[in-house]
Amino acid sequence: MLMPRKVKHRKQQRGRMSGKAKGGSSVTFGDFGIQALEPAWLTARQIEAARIAMTRHVKRGGKVWIRVFPDRPVTQKPAETRMGSGKGNPEHWVAVVKPGRILFELAGVDPVLAKEAMDRAIQKLPFKARFVIRPGTHGTSEVQV
Amino acid sequence: MPEITLVAEAGRPIGTSATRRLRAEGKIPGVVYGHGTDPVPVAIVARDFRIAMSGEAGLNTLLSLELEGKNLLTLARDIQRHPVKNVVSHVDFLIVRRDEVIAAEVTINLVGEAIEVQHGDGIVDQQLFTLAVKAKPADIPPSVDIDITELIIGASLHVSDIAIPAGVEVETDPGATVVAGQPPRVQVTAEEEAASAALAAEAAGETGVGAGAAAGSAEPTEE
Repeated sequence: MLMPRKVKHRKQQRGRMSGKAKGGSSVTFGDFGIQALEPAWLTARQIEAARIAMTRHVKRGGKVWIRVFPDRPVTQKPAETRMGSGKGNPEHWVAVVKPGRILFELAGVDPVLAKEAMDRAIQKLPFKARFVIRPGTHGTSEVQV
Repeated sequence: MPEITLVAEAGRPIGTSATRRLRAEGKIPGVVYGHGTDPVPVAIVARDFRIAMSGEAGLNTLLSLELEGKNLLTLARDIQRHPVKNVVSHVDFLIVRRDEVIAAEVTINLVGEAIEVQHGDGIVDQQLFTLAVKAKPADIPPSVDIDITELIIGASLHVSDIAIPAGVEVETDPGATVVAGQPPRVQVTAEEEAASAALAAEAAGETGVGAGAAAGSAEPTEE
Protein backbone atom coordinates (compact mmCIF):
# COMPACT_ATOMS: atom_id res chain seq x y z
CA MET A 1 0.00 0.00 0.00
CA LEU A 2 1.07 3.57 -0.61
CA MET A 3 2.43 5.53 2.34
CA PRO A 4 5.11 8.15 2.89
CA ARG A 5 8.61 6.90 3.67
CA LYS A 6 9.29 9.61 6.21
CA VAL A 7 7.18 12.45 7.63
CA LYS A 8 8.11 15.57 9.53
CA HIS A 9 5.18 15.29 11.95
CA ARG A 10 3.51 11.97 12.87
CA LYS A 11 0.06 13.44 13.56
CA GLN A 12 -1.90 16.11 11.71
CA GLN A 13 -5.06 18.09 12.29
CA ARG A 14 -8.02 17.13 10.14
CA GLY A 15 -8.40 20.24 7.99
CA ARG A 16 -11.22 21.12 5.59
CA MET A 17 -12.24 19.75 2.20
CA SER A 18 -14.16 22.72 0.80
CA GLY A 19 -13.95 23.78 -2.82
CA LYS A 20 -12.99 22.09 -6.04
CA ALA A 21 -9.68 20.54 -7.09
CA LYS A 22 -7.11 23.25 -7.71
CA GLY A 23 -4.95 21.13 -9.98
CA GLY A 24 -4.72 17.57 -11.24
CA SER A 25 -8.15 17.85 -12.84
CA SER A 26 -7.21 16.87 -16.40
CA VAL A 27 -6.06 13.58 -17.93
CA THR A 28 -2.35 14.16 -18.47
CA PHE A 29 -0.47 10.87 -18.86
CA GLY A 30 -2.89 8.31 -20.26
CA ASP A 31 -5.98 8.29 -22.48
CA PHE A 32 -8.64 7.58 -19.86
CA GLY A 33 -9.16 8.57 -16.24
CA ILE A 34 -11.33 8.38 -13.15
CA GLN A 35 -12.51 11.76 -11.92
CA ALA A 36 -13.80 12.35 -8.39
CA LEU A 37 -17.14 14.15 -8.14
CA GLU A 38 -17.32 14.54 -4.36
CA PRO A 39 -14.87 15.52 -1.63
CA ALA A 40 -13.57 12.68 0.55
CA TRP A 41 -10.63 11.09 2.26
CA LEU A 42 -9.33 8.23 0.12
CA THR A 43 -7.42 5.63 2.12
CA ALA A 44 -4.39 3.76 0.89
CA ARG A 45 -6.43 0.53 1.07
CA GLN A 46 -9.13 1.97 -1.19
CA ILE A 47 -6.53 3.16 -3.70
CA GLU A 48 -4.97 -0.30 -3.75
CA ALA A 49 -8.36 -2.03 -4.06
CA ALA A 50 -9.32 0.19 -6.99
CA ARG A 51 -5.96 -0.36 -8.68
CA ILE A 52 -6.22 -4.15 -8.33
CA ALA A 53 -9.82 -4.18 -9.63
CA MET A 54 -8.72 -2.21 -12.68
CA THR A 55 -5.54 -4.12 -13.51
CA ARG A 56 -7.24 -7.52 -13.04
CA HIS A 57 -9.97 -6.61 -15.51
CA VAL A 58 -7.48 -5.37 -18.09
CA LYS A 59 -5.53 -8.67 -17.60
CA ARG A 60 -2.65 -7.88 -19.93
CA GLY A 61 -1.51 -4.73 -21.62
CA GLY A 62 -2.37 -1.27 -20.43
CA LYS A 63 -0.49 1.11 -18.21
CA VAL A 64 -1.90 2.56 -15.01
CA TRP A 65 -1.03 5.84 -13.29
CA ILE A 66 -2.12 6.65 -9.73
CA ARG A 67 -2.54 10.42 -9.51
CA VAL A 68 -3.20 10.69 -5.76
CA PHE A 69 -0.92 9.85 -2.85
CA PRO A 70 -2.09 9.14 0.71
CA ASP A 71 0.19 11.46 2.64
CA ARG A 72 -2.12 12.44 5.53
CA PRO A 73 -2.00 10.30 8.70
CA VAL A 74 -5.30 9.46 10.40
CA THR A 75 -5.20 8.71 14.12
CA GLN A 76 -7.55 6.56 16.16
CA LYS A 77 -7.90 5.96 19.87
CA PRO A 78 -8.01 2.31 20.95
CA ALA A 79 -11.44 0.78 21.67
CA GLU A 80 -12.98 1.27 25.11
CA THR A 81 -10.56 4.02 26.04
CA ARG A 82 -11.60 6.99 28.18
CA MET A 83 -11.42 10.37 26.51
CA GLY A 84 -8.39 12.52 27.14
CA SER A 85 -4.75 11.53 27.48
CA GLY A 86 -3.82 13.07 24.18
CA LYS A 87 -4.33 12.27 20.52
CA GLY A 88 -4.63 8.66 19.35
CA ASN A 89 -2.15 6.62 17.37
CA PRO A 90 -1.64 6.96 13.60
CA GLU A 91 -3.67 4.10 12.09
CA HIS A 92 -3.72 4.65 8.35
CA TRP A 93 -2.96 7.09 5.56
CA VAL A 94 -5.40 9.02 3.40
CA ALA A 95 -5.33 11.31 0.38
CA VAL A 96 -7.59 14.36 0.49
CA VAL A 97 -9.68 14.30 -2.69
CA LYS A 98 -11.71 17.25 -3.93
CA PRO A 99 -14.27 17.25 -6.77
CA GLY A 100 -12.63 17.26 -10.18
CA ARG A 101 -9.47 15.45 -9.13
CA ILE A 102 -8.22 12.75 -11.50
CA LEU A 103 -7.45 9.68 -9.39
CA PHE A 104 -6.27 7.09 -11.89
CA GLU A 105 -5.25 7.12 -15.52
CA LEU A 106 -5.06 4.29 -18.00
CA ALA A 107 -3.49 3.92 -21.44
CA GLY A 108 -2.81 1.19 -23.97
CA VAL A 109 -6.27 -0.42 -23.98
CA ASP A 110 -9.35 0.09 -26.11
CA PRO A 111 -12.04 2.47 -24.80
CA VAL A 112 -14.64 -0.24 -24.09
CA LEU A 113 -12.24 -2.28 -21.95
CA ALA A 114 -10.99 0.88 -20.23
CA LYS A 115 -14.55 1.90 -19.32
CA GLU A 116 -15.33 -1.55 -17.93
CA ALA A 117 -12.10 -1.67 -15.91
CA MET A 118 -12.54 1.83 -14.54
CA ASP A 119 -16.18 1.22 -13.66
CA ARG A 120 -14.97 -1.70 -11.53
CA ALA A 121 -12.39 0.56 -9.87
CA ILE A 122 -15.05 3.23 -9.20
CA GLN A 123 -17.01 0.62 -7.22
CA LYS A 124 -14.12 0.52 -4.74
CA LEU A 125 -14.19 4.26 -4.08
CA PRO A 126 -16.10 5.84 -1.18
CA PHE A 127 -17.61 8.64 -3.30
CA LYS A 128 -19.15 9.34 -6.70
CA ALA A 129 -16.66 9.30 -9.55
CA ARG A 130 -16.84 9.10 -13.31
CA PHE A 131 -14.94 7.77 -16.30
CA VAL A 132 -13.34 10.52 -18.41
CA ILE A 133 -11.52 10.54 -21.75
CA ARG A 134 -8.68 12.89 -22.66
CA PRO A 135 -10.25 15.80 -24.63
CA GLY A 136 -9.55 15.69 -28.35
CA THR A 137 -9.03 11.91 -28.44
CA HIS A 138 -11.36 8.97 -29.18
CA GLY A 139 -13.89 11.24 -30.85
CA THR A 140 -14.21 13.69 -27.97
CA SER A 141 -14.29 17.44 -28.52
CA GLU A 142 -11.30 19.55 -27.49
CA VAL A 143 -13.60 22.22 -26.07
CA GLN A 144 -16.79 21.64 -24.11
CA VAL A 145 -19.21 24.47 -23.43
CA MET B 1 -4.44 27.08 -41.62
CA PRO B 2 -8.16 27.89 -41.71
CA GLU B 3 -9.28 31.24 -40.30
CA ILE B 4 -12.61 31.49 -38.51
CA THR B 5 -14.54 34.65 -37.74
CA LEU B 6 -15.79 35.04 -34.19
CA VAL B 7 -17.87 37.93 -32.89
CA ALA B 8 -16.77 39.38 -29.54
CA GLU B 9 -18.72 41.85 -27.44
CA ALA B 10 -16.65 44.48 -25.69
CA GLY B 11 -17.58 46.16 -22.43
CA ARG B 12 -18.69 43.10 -20.52
CA PRO B 13 -19.28 43.64 -16.79
CA ILE B 14 -16.40 42.74 -14.49
CA GLY B 15 -16.73 40.79 -11.26
CA THR B 16 -17.74 37.36 -10.00
CA SER B 17 -21.52 37.77 -9.98
CA ALA B 18 -21.71 39.54 -13.33
CA THR B 19 -19.41 36.96 -14.92
CA ARG B 20 -21.52 34.14 -13.48
CA ARG B 21 -24.64 35.70 -15.03
CA LEU B 22 -22.76 36.01 -18.33
CA ARG B 23 -21.93 32.28 -18.29
CA ALA B 24 -25.55 31.44 -17.50
CA GLU B 25 -26.52 33.31 -20.69
CA GLY B 26 -24.34 30.90 -22.70
CA LYS B 27 -21.38 33.22 -23.11
CA ILE B 28 -17.73 32.86 -22.20
CA PRO B 29 -15.80 35.76 -20.66
CA GLY B 30 -12.44 36.48 -22.19
CA VAL B 31 -9.75 39.07 -22.63
CA VAL B 32 -7.99 40.32 -25.76
CA TYR B 33 -4.41 41.52 -25.56
CA GLY B 34 -1.08 41.53 -27.38
CA HIS B 35 1.32 43.81 -29.24
CA GLY B 36 1.28 46.43 -26.52
CA THR B 37 -2.46 47.04 -26.62
CA ASP B 38 -4.42 47.48 -23.41
CA PRO B 39 -6.27 44.32 -22.41
CA VAL B 40 -9.94 44.45 -23.42
CA PRO B 41 -12.47 42.31 -21.52
CA VAL B 42 -14.81 40.63 -24.02
CA ALA B 43 -17.60 38.09 -24.11
CA ILE B 44 -18.10 35.47 -26.82
CA VAL B 45 -20.94 33.06 -27.51
CA ALA B 46 -19.94 29.69 -26.07
CA ARG B 47 -21.49 27.67 -28.88
CA ASP B 48 -19.67 29.65 -31.58
CA PHE B 49 -16.40 29.21 -29.72
CA ARG B 50 -16.87 25.45 -29.49
CA ILE B 51 -17.61 25.24 -33.22
CA ALA B 52 -14.53 27.36 -33.97
CA MET B 53 -12.28 25.15 -31.85
CA SER B 54 -13.70 21.90 -33.22
CA GLY B 55 -12.07 22.32 -36.61
CA GLU B 56 -9.04 20.54 -37.96
CA ALA B 57 -6.56 22.94 -36.31
CA GLY B 58 -8.14 22.51 -32.87
CA LEU B 59 -6.82 24.94 -30.29
CA ASN B 60 -4.43 26.51 -32.82
CA THR B 61 -7.25 27.78 -35.05
CA LEU B 62 -6.65 31.33 -36.25
CA LEU B 63 -9.54 33.47 -35.13
CA SER B 64 -10.57 36.69 -36.81
CA LEU B 65 -12.13 38.43 -33.85
CA GLU B 66 -14.76 41.03 -34.73
CA LEU B 67 -14.48 43.59 -31.97
CA GLU B 68 -16.11 47.03 -32.17
CA GLY B 69 -16.02 47.12 -35.96
CA LYS B 70 -12.40 45.97 -36.15
CA ASN B 71 -11.08 42.59 -37.20
CA LEU B 72 -8.26 41.31 -34.99
CA LEU B 73 -6.24 38.24 -35.90
CA THR B 74 -5.97 36.24 -32.68
CA LEU B 75 -5.20 32.84 -31.24
CA ALA B 76 -7.05 31.37 -28.26
CA ARG B 77 -4.51 30.97 -25.49
CA ASP B 78 -4.80 29.85 -21.87
CA ILE B 79 -8.24 28.28 -21.98
CA GLN B 80 -9.48 27.92 -18.39
CA ARG B 81 -11.87 25.07 -17.70
CA HIS B 82 -14.15 24.22 -14.78
CA PRO B 83 -12.47 21.37 -12.85
CA VAL B 84 -15.61 19.20 -12.65
CA LYS B 85 -17.84 20.23 -15.55
CA ASN B 86 -14.82 20.69 -17.85
CA VAL B 87 -16.60 23.53 -19.64
CA VAL B 88 -14.58 26.56 -20.72
CA SER B 89 -14.82 29.30 -18.12
CA HIS B 90 -12.43 31.90 -19.58
CA VAL B 91 -10.33 32.42 -22.70
CA ASP B 92 -7.36 34.65 -23.44
CA PHE B 93 -7.16 35.89 -27.03
CA LEU B 94 -3.63 36.79 -28.09
CA ILE B 95 -3.36 39.27 -30.96
CA VAL B 96 -0.89 38.04 -33.59
CA ARG B 97 0.45 39.36 -36.88
CA ARG B 98 0.61 37.25 -40.01
CA ASP B 99 4.33 37.89 -40.50
CA GLU B 100 5.55 37.22 -36.95
CA VAL B 101 6.83 33.92 -35.64
CA ILE B 102 4.84 32.67 -32.66
CA ALA B 103 5.09 29.71 -30.32
CA ALA B 104 2.39 27.04 -30.35
CA GLU B 105 1.70 23.51 -29.14
CA VAL B 106 0.81 21.07 -31.91
CA THR B 107 -0.89 17.71 -31.33
CA ILE B 108 1.11 14.60 -32.20
CA ASN B 109 -0.89 11.91 -34.03
CA LEU B 110 0.20 8.28 -34.09
CA VAL B 111 -0.22 6.91 -37.62
CA GLY B 112 -0.40 3.24 -38.55
CA GLU B 113 -0.42 0.18 -36.36
CA ALA B 114 2.56 -1.17 -34.48
CA ILE B 115 2.14 -4.76 -35.70
CA GLU B 116 5.26 -6.08 -33.96
CA VAL B 117 4.20 -4.62 -30.62
CA GLN B 118 0.66 -5.99 -31.01
CA HIS B 119 1.93 -9.48 -31.86
CA GLY B 120 4.12 -9.44 -28.78
CA ASP B 121 1.16 -8.28 -26.60
CA GLY B 122 3.12 -5.13 -25.83
CA ILE B 123 1.89 -1.60 -25.24
CA VAL B 124 2.30 1.42 -27.50
CA ASP B 125 3.18 3.96 -24.83
CA GLN B 126 2.76 7.54 -26.06
CA GLN B 127 4.87 9.75 -23.81
CA LEU B 128 4.60 13.06 -25.65
CA PHE B 129 1.22 14.33 -26.78
CA THR B 130 2.10 17.81 -28.04
CA LEU B 131 5.07 19.34 -29.78
CA ALA B 132 6.26 22.87 -29.02
CA VAL B 133 6.87 24.67 -32.32
CA LYS B 134 7.59 28.15 -33.60
CA ALA B 135 6.13 29.32 -36.89
CA LYS B 136 4.16 32.04 -38.59
CA PRO B 137 0.45 31.79 -37.70
CA ALA B 138 -0.50 30.54 -41.16
CA ASP B 139 2.26 27.90 -41.12
CA ILE B 140 1.33 26.25 -37.82
CA PRO B 141 0.24 22.72 -38.77
CA PRO B 142 -3.07 21.39 -37.34
CA SER B 143 -1.15 18.34 -36.12
CA VAL B 144 2.02 16.39 -36.83
CA ASP B 145 2.10 12.68 -37.61
CA ILE B 146 4.54 10.01 -36.52
CA ASP B 147 4.50 6.60 -38.19
CA ILE B 148 4.58 3.79 -35.63
CA THR B 149 4.37 0.89 -38.11
CA GLU B 150 8.03 -0.01 -37.60
CA LEU B 151 7.91 0.25 -33.80
CA ILE B 152 9.06 -2.84 -31.93
CA ILE B 153 9.04 -3.77 -28.24
CA GLY B 154 11.95 -2.15 -26.44
CA ALA B 155 12.42 0.54 -29.10
CA SER B 156 11.19 4.10 -29.14
CA LEU B 157 10.56 6.92 -31.58
CA HIS B 158 11.82 10.41 -30.88
CA VAL B 159 10.95 13.98 -31.82
CA SER B 160 13.62 13.82 -34.52
CA ASP B 161 11.59 11.05 -36.23
CA ILE B 162 8.61 13.36 -36.82
CA ALA B 163 8.22 14.79 -40.31
CA ILE B 164 8.09 18.54 -39.77
CA PRO B 165 6.50 20.78 -42.47
CA ALA B 166 8.50 23.60 -44.01
CA GLY B 167 8.54 26.89 -42.13
CA VAL B 168 8.12 25.24 -38.75
CA GLU B 169 10.85 25.21 -36.12
CA VAL B 170 10.66 22.60 -33.36
CA GLU B 171 11.33 23.83 -29.83
CA THR B 172 11.10 20.45 -28.11
CA ASP B 173 14.34 18.51 -27.56
CA PRO B 174 14.90 16.32 -30.68
CA GLY B 175 15.96 13.43 -28.44
CA ALA B 176 12.74 13.44 -26.42
CA THR B 177 10.80 10.18 -26.63
CA VAL B 178 7.41 10.45 -28.35
CA VAL B 179 6.29 6.84 -28.29
CA ALA B 180 7.84 3.65 -26.94
CA GLY B 181 7.05 -0.03 -27.41
CA GLN B 182 6.68 -1.42 -23.89
CA PRO B 183 6.84 -5.13 -23.04
CA PRO B 184 3.56 -6.73 -21.94
CA ARG B 185 2.40 -6.35 -18.36
CA VAL B 186 1.64 -9.94 -17.41
CA GLN B 187 -0.71 -10.59 -14.55
CA VAL B 188 -0.93 -14.07 -13.13
CA THR B 189 -3.91 -14.68 -10.87
CA ALA B 190 -3.95 -17.24 -8.08
CA GLU B 191 -6.20 -19.57 -10.08
CA GLU B 192 -3.97 -19.48 -13.15
CA GLU B 193 -0.93 -20.03 -10.99
CA ALA B 194 -2.56 -23.00 -9.27
CA ALA B 195 -3.68 -24.47 -12.59
CA SER B 196 -0.23 -24.14 -14.13
CA ALA B 197 1.40 -25.63 -11.04
CA ALA B 198 -1.02 -28.56 -11.11
CA LEU B 199 -0.32 -29.14 -14.79
CA ALA B 200 3.41 -29.07 -14.15
CA ALA B 201 3.04 -31.50 -11.28
CA GLU B 202 0.88 -33.84 -13.35
CA ALA B 203 3.49 -33.85 -16.03
CA ALA B 204 6.13 -34.78 -13.46
CA GLY B 205 3.89 -37.47 -11.93
CA GLU B 206 3.62 -35.69 -8.57
CA THR B 207 0.05 -34.33 -8.69
CA GLY B 208 -0.64 -34.29 -4.92
CA VAL B 209 2.54 -32.42 -3.95
CA GLY B 210 2.10 -29.86 -6.77
CA ALA B 211 -1.48 -29.01 -5.78
CA GLY B 212 -0.50 -28.53 -2.14
CA ALA B 213 2.31 -26.18 -3.05
CA ALA B 214 0.00 -24.16 -5.33
CA ALA B 215 -2.68 -23.85 -2.62
CA GLY B 216 -0.09 -22.29 -0.30
CA SER B 217 0.37 -19.25 -2.62
CA ALA B 218 -3.14 -17.82 -2.31
CA GLU B 219 -2.10 -14.21 -2.82
CA PRO B 220 -2.20 -13.19 -6.49
CA THR B 221 1.06 -12.07 -7.94
CA GLU B 222 1.53 -9.33 -10.41
CA GLU B 223 4.34 -8.06 -12.49
